[in-house]
Amino acid sequence: MEIRVNPPYNSLTRYGIFFAFLLICIVLAFSTPRFFTVSNLMIIGTQVSINALLAFGVTFVIITGGIDLSLGSMVAVTGVVAAMFAHPDTYPLAVPILAGLGAGLVLGGFNGLVITKSKVPPFIVTLGTMTIGRGLALILSKGRPISNLSDSFNFIGGGNILGIPFPIIILVLAFAVCAVILNKTILGRYMYAVGGNEPAARASGIHVTKVKMWVYTICGLLSALGGILLTSRITTGQPNAGAGFELDAIAAAIIGGTSTSGGTGTMTGTLIGALLIGVISNSLDLLNVTSYYQQVVMGVIIIGAVVLDSAGKKGRE
Amino acid sequence: MKISLNVLLAGALLLGCNKSKNDESKDGSDKKLLIGATMLSMQNEFIVNVADEMEAKAKELNVELITVDAERSALKQVEQVESFIAQGVDAIIMNPCEVEASSPAVKLAMDAKIPIINVNSETSAKPTAFVGSDDTESARIAMKYIAEKLGGKGNILMMHGFMGQAAQLKRDNGAKEILKANPGLKLFAEQTGEWDRAKAMSLTENWIQSYGNQINAIFAQNDEMGMGAVKALEAAGLKNKVLVVSVDAIPDALQAVKKGSLDATVFQNAKEQGSKAIETAVKAAKKEAFDKEVLIPFQLVTKENVGEFLK
Repeated sequence: MEIRVNPPYNSLTRYGIFFAFLLICIVLAFSTPRFFTVSNLMIIGTQVSINALLAFGVTFVIITGGIDLSLGSMVAVTGVVAAMFAHPDTYPLAVPILAGLGAGLVLGGFNGLVITKSKVPPFIVTLGTMTIGRGLALILSKGRPISNLSDSFNFIGGGNILGIPFPIIILVLAFAVCAVILNKTILGRYMYAVGGNEPAARASGIHVTKVKMWVYTICGLLSALGGILLTSRITTGQPNAGAGFELDAIAAAIIGGTSTSGGTGTMTGTLIGALLIGVISNSLDLLNVTSYYQQVVMGVIIIGAVVLDSAGKKGRE
Repeated sequence: MKISLNVLLAGALLLGCNKSKNDESKDGSDKKLLIGATMLSMQNEFIVNVADEMEAKAKELNVELITVDAERSALKQVEQVESFIAQGVDAIIMNPCEVEASSPAVKLAMDAKIPIINVNSETSAKPTAFVGSDDTESARIAMKYIAEKLGGKGNILMMHGFMGQAAQLKRDNGAKEILKANPGLKLFAEQTGEWDRAKAMSLTENWIQSYGNQINAIFAQNDEMGMGAVKALEAAGLKNKVLVVSVDAIPDALQAVKKGSLDATVFQNAKEQGSKAIETAVKAAKKEAFDKEVLIPFQLVTKENVGEFLK
């Protein structure tokens, strides 16, 4: 059994989704003159940022053959925790950010620990964490949104530098870091190896437990970044925020060519997947199409992407 | 432990009830009344406020209150009412999840001869009493304010709640009534923001791309969405050109009205709904006279009177 240590090159899915995205953008540019404007593109980038961060996190997880359903709840907990320390004139800006990231680290680490120690499937463990997280967010906030946040904190989601919204800057930086981890580090290669064939990876001396711990912790951290961004963007820490976010994030990863059976996936693909979802919901709003249709379109695209993916695999064999 | 205590208590109460059939004057005077309450969702700030006030009022009147969370599931709510009936509570307060699907709970309680009081929203089955406000009225108040401020002429965008929910349907009806009466007001677009601030913000950003300077006012069916709209308009530098009015008067919205970023909200009195629900339940349980419909009026909140609502 061969162990794949290099990211597999799946040209059909990779370019297929890219061309599909391009095609949709061209069609939209012609159907509404408001689509292809600088300000609208900035808005799409901002709206996409949170989902993209979560999608990057879950891409790591899915590549190792796992899944994380607790993303949305982690967004809520970390957002609430950050908000608790973000009132004006209380703590310096670093405190709410570090507190939020810390909460993400703990929750993600908890996922990793339980999954590696108990051998219970990630689907079940993270399903539990999803409920625990939602409960924690409600406990910490006493069921009420936490508002009155400082201006400096609200800059994270609402400010801009040289006309570029700050969430887009975070998105670009996070993408760069995640792509480097996945493509240029040993950890990234081990992720593909674990997802591609776990027993073989273990036999070849890869510390599978360690890799999985890393993956779920990174996912928790990225969720925390998403939670902080969301809290700052809507200027409140909301305990019921982020419900269903995990599904959008998983959808972005899958549309981008990440295979749920593990071992395949790229950050670029996931980014395009997230952009595609964002572009569709933005343009259907611009065209004043009811959101009901958006859901149908999104479902068709998800299934289409997976069909394309399996067709690509057959083509290689 | 708590459950077994309640069962014991309920048992004691049942005995007490049996006794009181022969001796009505002693009813309720020596035994603590037990009221069961099932709430739509304890993740919703407004509902939590209603529940908190119910708790406070119950303490004040010296009745025991068990509050459970239906988590937006009508099925769960019906099951909760069933267990209240099995526990032998003296009265039930229900904050219905759905108009139709929560109705069986009302029937069950009525059949068991236990008074059931609907609070905040309605069911199609008629309960013992209803305590709440008429959602149609809140939208009328908001839209009238918009009509007045725009001098009866302008382009309006409306943000709906979850489609199909009683509050969304009624607020839609109320708003459209006023729009019909003011032909100069044009409904440019309407879309759901699902009661959610982040969704409303994205929607408003997209609307700004579509309609930009043509927008004169946005009516959001709740404050969460209103706040999202305000954020998006502020970011685009359009807030001083667009009127934003929403409903609920949550603390955040009151602060925004005070600051002048949100133009108006409509106050729905959570405290009054909570305390009246308990009062009515207690009266019904003691077989005293009570109003079958307690309607708590809405109030328009603008910068001029926001001080009264900020405490």
